[in-house]
This record gives sequence, structure tokens and C-alpha cells, in this order.
Amino acid sequence: MTRWLGWLAALGLLAGLAMGFGYAPKDAVQGNVQRIMYVHVPSILTAYLAFALVLIASLGYLFTRRTGWDRLAHSAGEIGVVFTGLTLVSGSIWGKPTWGTWWTWDARLTSTAILFLIYVGYLLLRGMVDDQERGARYAAVVGILGAVNIPIVHFSVLWWRTLHQPPTILSPERAPVSASIGLALLVNGVAFALLFLYLLSKRLALRRLEEEIRA
Amino acid sequence: MMFARRAWIVLWKDLLTERRSKESLNALFFFAVLLLFLFEFALGPDRERLTAALPGLLWLGFILAGLLGLGRTFLVERENDCWEGLLLTPGDKGAIYLGKLAVNFLLMAAVAIVLLGLFGIFYNVDLWASLAPLSIVIFLGTVGLASVGTLFGAMTSQVRARELLFPLLLLPVQVPVLLGTVKATEAVLQGLALAEVAHWLKLLAAADLVYLVVGILTFEFVLEA
Amino acid sequence: MPDHWGFVFAAYGIAAVVLFGYWRRLIRLHAELSALKARREVKR
Repeated sequence: MTRWLGWLAALGLLAGLAMGFGYAPKDAVQGNVQRIMYVHVPSILTAYLAFALVLIASLGYLFTRRTGWDRLAHSAGEIGVVFTGLTLVSGSIWGKPTWGTWWTWDARLTSTAILFLIYVGYLLLRGMVDDQERGARYAAVVGILGAVNIPIVHFSVLWWRTLHQPPTILSPERAPVSASIGLALLVNGVAFALLFLYLLSKRLALRRLEEEIRA
Repeated sequence: MMFARRAWIVLWKDLLTERRSKESLNALFFFAVLLLFLFEFALGPDRERLTAALPGLLWLGFILAGLLGLGRTFLVERENDCWEGLLLTPGDKGAIYLGKLAVNFLLMAAVAIVLLGLFGIFYNVDLWASLAPLSIVIFLGTVGLASVGTLFGAMTSQVRARELLFPLLLLPVQVPVLLGTVKATEAVLQGLALAEVAHWLKLLAAADLVYLVVGILTFEFVLEA
Repeated sequence: MPDHWGFVFAAYGIAAVVLFGYWRRLIRLHAELSALKARREVKR
């Protein structure tokens, strides 16, 4: 099962590369740098998926006290941090030629960085509690607080960078994405989701083994 | 009724301990003075630079003091082996959380007042004019800081490297509170009306509410064996 | 608009290194722990 997922993910990633470099046209405004987007956007979407799983699994653990939920929260949290880091790095590399700087305190950049820090803290907490059951409980509480904090962080950082409150919550003022770019993004998104599922099942198996050794 | 009473008992117990030992308060006041001097040395005596940085420095100092003070929330119970006492308390554990939160709120409010007074004197800022709106901002910020700090303080008191872990957990979560309070304080010190920063105050209030609800609901899971 | 292929390849390269490295790490830890577990069972 896991093996199949792995091959599927590998195939998907290859297809994503082909779509990103072969099929999708060169961006009219940004040029070929725009192709970084096919790593960047799927990364952050995967990270959000992972952190949503952390929230669900944390709630699940606190309600049922089944170790399976804790395993899921732990694994998803770790992979989410990896993908958030990837988002930050790829965004930074895109920003250098496009904005002329590796880092600006742009609203979305900043809130992603804070997200990264919150979940690094979450993983550190897991490493520092010796008692398994207690560590699971504490991590679940931090996982829940971290997730409900995401919208608060989002708005605070948005208002911090822009002087006035934006008119609507979801203002689609971006230019419409062309169909072929959208398709390339979709393929890459599916490939990253498959990769996420594969890594998740690998991490879950590892975590199960860790528990057996500890016991 | 019983809920409020249990919370009150926890608050009263800790206030009494603090009144007799004066451990936290004295240390935190001294820490506030030290921070003030350090900020001055780091930025130099240039008045304009200091005034521009004042709201940020104020809240930075406040949060640093919070890291020291809030991390000790459950130290009394831990060091005197009273953790089991808390565990055995009947009824909703949310009451213990609220009691501890009230203690921390009072402690941090005292620190805030002292820090403000010191800033007013040493940096020659006229705080009287904006005292009323400023106290609203400080109230909202203190509740936000103390509510998360109390929850995480209970957790980290049971962890090996607690002095290390507490700030690592607390600081990233507190970013919205820091941004909101600094922006609001900036506006207030410039003499703007509170309505100008109403969205920040709403955000702070919403954050406080969310932290409080999460704290009350999840505290029973922190306070187990 | 210049192409900046260097930046594009750097981004893809780093992504590949990070993801591949994480995957290798999972595999390696899994192998190590399996070996440890097997050794323990032999001792018993």
C-alpha cells in the first residue's frame, strides 16, 4: 500500500515537472522565474493540509485518548514543518529576482514564518517531555491553540503591513490565472498531496516502531 | 457559584503566598528597572529615537517580564509537592485555570504599571494625557499574554527544560498580541482617539476570548497526573 | 524580463534535496530501529 503510494507520488512529481517546465507557458510578466510557483504553492497547501490534520488529530486524541490520533498529529506536524520550510525557502528564492530582496516583511511571508515557528515549538515540546502519554496531551493542547491562532495571526500581520483594514475578508483582487498555468498547478498540487500521504504513512510506521522500542 | 468560588480560592491562596514572600513582585520590579537601563544603553540617549521606539520597547519589556513571571505560575505547587493537591481538586479544572490566570493578570498588571511609570519618568513621556485609553490597551494585552502564559506555564512546569521551552512556545503564539498592542499604544501615545485603532482593539479582544476559551476547555487535560 | 534560470533551478534543487533528504532520514531511522528491535528479540 505504502509502496504503491510512493510510486504514485514519484510519478505525480515527474508529471508535475513535465507540466511545470514543458506544458505551462513562460509567464508574460515574470518570465521563467514564475515556474518556482509550481513548488511554492503546492508546498504551502500541503503544509496547511498537514496542520489541519494536526488540529483534527489533537482533538481526536483529547476526546478518545487513542495513541493512533497522537501518532497522526505528531507525524503530520513534522511533515507540515518540512513543507512550511520549503515554502519559505522557495518563496525567498522567487523573491530575490522578482522583488530584488530575499526577504521582505510582507504579510503572507511573515504569517507563514510565524506558522513555522509555532509548529517548530510544537515539535520541540514533543521532544522534551519524557512521559509519552503526558507529551501527547500537552502536544494536543498546543496543536489546538496553534491552529485556532492561525486566523488571528493572519489578520494581525495583514493589518500590520497595510495601514487600513481591507474591505473584505477574501478579496480576489489578483489577476485571473491562465488555464494552462492552473492545470500545471493542479497536477503539482495532486503530486504533492500524494507525496504527503506517502511520507505520512512512512512517518506513522516509524512512530509505531519507536513506540514498540520504547515499551 | 462553586466554580467562581474555587477560582477565588486559588487566587486568594496565591495572593497570600505572594504577599508573604514577595518573591515574584520584587524580582519583576527589579527586572523592569534593569530592562529600562538596558534599552537606554542599547539605543543611546537620543530622545527622538527613544520616543519613536517607545511603544515597541514598552511591550517588549512587558513580554520579557512575562516570560519570567508567567513561567513560574505553577512553581509553588511543583516545588512544595502540591501538584497532587491541584489534581485532586473536585469539579471543573477550568476554575483552577481562571484562578491562576487572575493571579497572573494582577502580577503582570502591577509590572505594567511600574514599567509605565518608569518609562514616564526616565524617558520624559507625558502618560497622564493618554492614561485612560492606554489602560484599555494594557488590559487587553495583559489578558492575552496571561491567558496563554498560564496554560503553557502549567505544561512546562512538568517538563525537563522548562525555562527553555516556555519562551519557545509562548513567543510565536503571542505575535498577534504584540503587534496589536504596539500599534494601539503607538496611536494612543500620538494622541489619536481609540476609534482610530478600533480594529486592533477588536482583534485583541477576539484573541483574548479565543485564548481564554481554549484555556478553560483544555486545562483539564494539562492538569492530569 | 530576464529568465533567472539559476534561481529556478536553485529552488527546484533545494526542494529536491529537502524532500529527498527527509525521505532518506525516515528510511534510515526505520532501518535502524528495525535492526534494534530484531536484536532485542534475539536476546530474549
